[in-house]
Order: sequence, then structure tokens, then C-alpha cells
Amino acid sequence: MVLTYVVRRFLQMIPTFLGATLLAFLIIQAAPGDFTDRFALDPNIDPEQLQRMRERFALDQPVTVQYANWMWSIVRYGYFGESFSYRAPVNAVIYPLILNSMSLVLVSLVVTYLLTIPIAVYSARRQYSLGDKAITFLSFLGLAIPNFFFILVLITGVLVLQPTLREVAEAGGPIATLLRPITYDLDRGLAFPVGGMRTSGLYDELGPLGQVRDRFWHLVLPVLVVSTASLASLVRVLRAQMLEFMRADFVRTANAKGLPPRAVVYKHALRNALNPLISGIGTLLPSLVGGAGLVEFVVRWPGITPAFVAAVKAQDLYIVMGLLTVSAVLLMLGNFLSDVLLGLIDPRIRYT
Amino acid sequence: MVGSPPQIAKLGTSQASIVWGQFRRHRLAMWSLYVLGFLYLGALFADFIAPYGEGQSFRRGVENRSYAPPTTIYWFDPETDRLTRPYVYPVSSVRDTRTLRVSYVEDRTRPTPIRFLVRGPSYVPPPLSLIPVAIRRDLGINDWTTNWHLFGVEFPATIYLWGADQFGRDVFGRILFGARISLTIGIIASLIALVLGLVLGALAGYYGGALDDVIMRMVEVIATIPTLFLLLALRALFPIEVNPTAIFVIMVTILGFISWGAIARVVRGLALSLREEEYVLAAKALGARDARVMLRHLLPGTAAYAIVSFSLLIPGFILTEAGLSFLGLGISEPASSWGLMLAVAQEGGIQTFTQRPWMLLPGLFIFIAVLAYNFVGDGLRDALDPKLRR
Repeated sequence: MVLTYVVRRFLQMIPTFLGATLLAFLIIQAAPGDFTDRFALDPNIDPEQLQRMRERFALDQPVTVQYANWMWSIVRYGYFGESFSYRAPVNAVIYPLILNSMSLVLVSLVVTYLLTIPIAVYSARRQYSLGDKAITFLSFLGLAIPNFFFILVLITGVLVLQPTLREVAEAGGPIATLLRPITYDLDRGLAFPVGGMRTSGLYDELGPLGQVRDRFWHLVLPVLVVSTASLASLVRVLRAQMLEFMRADFVRTANAKGLPPRAVVYKHALRNALNPLISGIGTLLPSLVGGAGLVEFVVRWPGITPAFVAAVKAQDLYIVMGLLTVSAVLLMLGNFLSDVLLGLIDPRIRYT
Repeated sequence: MVGSPPQIAKLGTSQASIVWGQFRRHRLAMWSLYVLGFLYLGALFADFIAPYGEGQSFRRGVENRSYAPPTTIYWFDPETDRLTRPYVYPVSSVRDTRTLRVSYVEDRTRPTPIRFLVRGPSYVPPPLSLIPVAIRRDLGINDWTTNWHLFGVEFPATIYLWGADQFGRDVFGRILFGARISLTIGIIASLIALVLGLVLGALAGYYGGALDDVIMRMVEVIATIPTLFLLLALRALFPIEVNPTAIFVIMVTILGFISWGAIARVVRGLALSLREEEYVLAAKALGARDARVMLRHLLPGTAAYAIVSFSLLIPGFILTEAGLSFLGLGISEPASSWGLMLAVAQEGGIQTFTQRPWMLLPGLFIFIAVLAYNFVGDGLRDALDPKLRR
């Protein structure tokens, strides 16, 4: 029964996928002009050449034909077409972008989940305490602050604090010793980068350990920003769940039979409260590829969002479609995974 | 029974006043409402409060006020050291010959008092300013202007409460002007999303069958494309640089179009259960037409949900507008919006952070507006939920 559900749910994704890609294709092609427009005013390129270019990229054919050819080449060969502006296969262009975005988001997700559980559990166990109120308030702030503004503020903070950090380090004492790992890289010009994914020029000269450190420093600010927003919403969800289960009969029973409070909280309440978070992992899949959005833009992270914006502006059709398709597929797979997972961990859900 | 009728509850407690009473107990939500009211008043009277016009710049020669810091306001007379009417000193830019850094020095010989209710750049006063320019032109009332301003100083002194941007434009004023766009886009886009969601959701739930299938597949298809990507692709349908009114219309349409799905899904669910309710069946048995059943009996049942989701959609749209303008795809110069101002701040490079942090102020306003709307939405949700009544 579960299997039939899984298969049916999976098959349902196909028309949705076709619909979504077709819609995207139509929207992009409905935009006035096409990629060759930027060459139309170039005196070095004559109209004939322009026409050949349009023929080469099949831009002279009806949109539906273009779409069908494109879809067929994906299904048949896994080939996403050729990028107009990069003059290279889309697959080769978007692969590193996706990888870069993934590395950023994956680290942020791990940080988020590691922090969510202790914070939410604390907040729920001490409901209405000062700590709980502070956490609730902070999560409201975390939800309201636009991530591109937050990262600008953090960059300001880092730049302003850097001289102070040096002063403290030079003054010596226990705090300076604690700060040694930071100041060490600070002196070599590695710590606190405010943009990019690695220190250009210097990166190749660093040893393996140095490269890891360099990567780490570049990750700190964007990860902090990306995690804050998801942390804020997850803490609210988990706290509400915990509060609900802490009042449940089976928790009262566990308390009544004399289990240590830790065991009650972690083994009984938390395990049930985590359900939506576990099934929610599926919906996080697309965000892995969707990347950190505007944050990538501000810190010049070579990820998907900046590339997507550039491709839309240049009307680089197949890059746009390639990125859209990959994220749409992951979005659907994520939802699919969530549904299946929810059924597996929650025996109350029946498939019909 | 004869005599006075039995007293039923308290007279005059309508549903709305119960909800309002509940809402008022939510302290954060009430405070947020005041904050929002303040911001909207600022936006409405921006022309009057701001000492300079929206695009008025000071950037040439002796007039140069590029990145001038917030003007210091003095309250004490320099000679007698007694409290006096507030005054400022004119500033002029000095370039350090070695570092090439521009700084501003005050001309201490010319104290200039801040005057209140002064004449300045002329503008169309509210509420006429709410009418789009094109319509005003057609009506022939475009020159119904005034030039009263709340405060100002006489040139060559300038007053920048929150500093100046790269063209020497007043950041304080531009935040107020930007509020017009940043704070209204959310409301209008939410209205569009809400109306679409309510209508399509009610139709899908009430009629079911093929119509339901089509609408729900549409919701699914739109939900399958990541929001930011869909937004950008749709934005590319229109030219990047058009007049602010056109961009406004384009943006609210796009935002409304991509966001009705979630509402439609919930309203459909509500409609599915409501249409089996006895009062709906009764209306149908009495021969009410479908439109009447939907408008009078189904939609009121979704009111609580609609109000809450409306108020919670707005902050999301404020963030999206800011993001789009930040990317240079939304409101464009010389008009202002909070996101656009942040984009300018970021383009200023590292100096923005170390030497002119006031350029980041618009972000604070986005933050405050979104926070306030979130609290109001929260308060409304609690107030409309009968289970949470106190």
C-alpha cells in the first residue's frame, strides 16, 4: 500500500514538472527580444551573421518546438542545451555554481539544526522565563531582518571591530591568548574577509590546512546570516511542538513513574516534537540549490543567485532554464521525500 | 411574556469590537500599530516633513554635499552659553591632499538658525499626491502645489538629519519618500493575492471537479518554481527602466500573481467543508444562486483566515520589494525605495561601512516595518481565534 502510494505520488510529479518548466520557458521567451539583441547594434556583426546565430540557437523556431527539443535532449541525453553568453554546455556552467551554493547552504543547515534543538528545548522547558522571552523576541527579530541588510550590518561590525581586536591582541593577557587563532590569520591577511569564497591569489599558496582555514573564514559571515533566518523560524516551530507534547498524557505518565526529567524531555517529548522538523528536511532540499539568495550577491559568493540574475538580464535562456529545472526537480523531490518520511515516522498517517 | 425583554449579553458587542478588544490586549501588536501609523503618516506627509525634494541634489562646486555627515544641531549660544533657538553651521568640503579623503568642516562664522514652517521646493500636497501623476495631469490639477515645509535652513547652510548620499541628497527625506513605495507595495500586492486566492480557492472548493483540478494544478506548478527565480523571470518580461508608477504596477502584479496559491489552497479546504454545512445547504434549498451562496455564506466563513493571512503577507512583500530594488530590478533612480537606497549604500564599497554608516539606515526601516507587521499579524491571529479569548 505504501508502495502504491509512493509510485502514484511519484508519477503525479511528472505533469507538474512539465507544467512548471513549460511555464518558465514561456515566461522567459515572452520577454521582448532575445539574446542576439545585444549584438544587433554591434557594427562588426552584420545582419546575416546575426541570423546565423539565431538559427544556431534555434531562436527562429516557434517556442513550443524549442521547448520540445530542449526537453527531449534532457530526457534523452541529460543535456541542458548551450549557454549563449558562456558559449559552453549549460551542464558544465551550472555544475560548479550549484556546488558552491550547496557548500554554503549545507554548512548553514548543519549549524541551524545543531542550534535549534538546544535553544528550543531550553525555551520550552522554561516557558515565560526571561531566557524564553529573550529567545522569542530574538527569533522575531531574526525573521524580520532582511538577509541582505543583516550581512551589510555584520560586515560593518567586522570592519569596525577589526582594529579593536588587534589592540586587544597586542595588549596581551588571557583574552589575547584566546583570540590567538583569529589574530594569527588576521596578521596574515586571511581573517575577516568580507566577500568571495576564498582569498584570490593567496589561496593556491596555502597548505591544505591553510586552505581549510581560508574557506572557513569566508564562510563565517554568510553562514551566520543564512542560519539566522531559518533558525528563527525553526525554533518557533519546535518550541510550540515541545510545549504541546510536554502537556501530553504520555509525558505526564513518564513523569509520574519517576523518570529523570532529562529522559522525559529528550526521549519522550523531544522525539515526538521533532517530527515536523524531520519531515521538513525534504523541503530544505531545494534551498540547498536555491542557495542563500541575496546574501550570495552581497558577499560575491560564486553561487546560483548572482548567476541567475545575470542570465535573466542577458536572456541566456538555457542557463535560466537549467537552473530553474534543477531547483524545480529538487523542490518536488523534497516535497515527495517529506510526504514519505512523514508517513514513515508517524504511524497515524494512513495511505489510501 | 410581558414586560422588559431579558437582557442578552452586553448590547452593542459586535464581532468586530470583540476582536478589537482582544487585539488591544496584545501589547506588542498595539505598539506595532502605533509604529506603523507613524511610518505611514511620515510617508503621506513626506513632502512637508522633508526639508528637500525627493531628487534634490547638492553635488557641484561649492554646493558639493556628497556624503555629508548628519548635520550637528547646536542649542547653546556660543558667546553666552545660554539655551537659544537651534542653529547649524554651513559646511564645506575639504579634500585631504594626501589621502584624497573628503571631509566637511563647519564655517563657525555663520550660525544659521533652523526655521520652522518655511518655504522650500514646491510639491503637490496630500491627499492630492495620492492620485497618480498621469491622472492628475488629465484632470489639470498638476499645478495645485504648495511649498510649505516643516523646517529648513537658509542656503549655504544645509540640514541633513541623517546625512547625505553620494549626490548630496537628504537621506532622512529619501527614507520618508521611499516609505511611500516600500510601505504601499506590500498592501496592494497582498490585496491582489488575497482576492485571487479567495476567488479561485472558493471556486475550486465549491464546484470541485475539472475546475478544481485545473486551479489546483496551477497552484502546484507555480509552487514548483522557486519564488526568487520566478520573480526574476517575470520581472524580465518588462523593461528595467520605466517610470516609477509603471514599475509599481508591474511589481504588485507580479507579487500578487506568484503568491495567491497558498491562500487558494486553504480557502479551497475551508470551502470544501463549509459547503456541507447545514446553513449552506439551507441557502441552496431556498434557491439561492451559486454566486450568492459563495459571497454570502462561504466567503464570510473564511474571513478570519483571510484577515490574518493578509496581514502576514505584507511583511513578506516588503522584504521582496526591498530585495528586488536592491538587485536593481525594482524601483529605479531618481525615485527612492528602501531597498534601492541600500543598493546604493552597498555600491559605495567599504567606505560605506567605515565612514558613512548612515547610508545603512533604510535597512533599519525595512526591519522595523517588517517586525511591526509581523507583530500585528500575530496579534490579529490571536484576537480572531476564539480558543485564545481572555
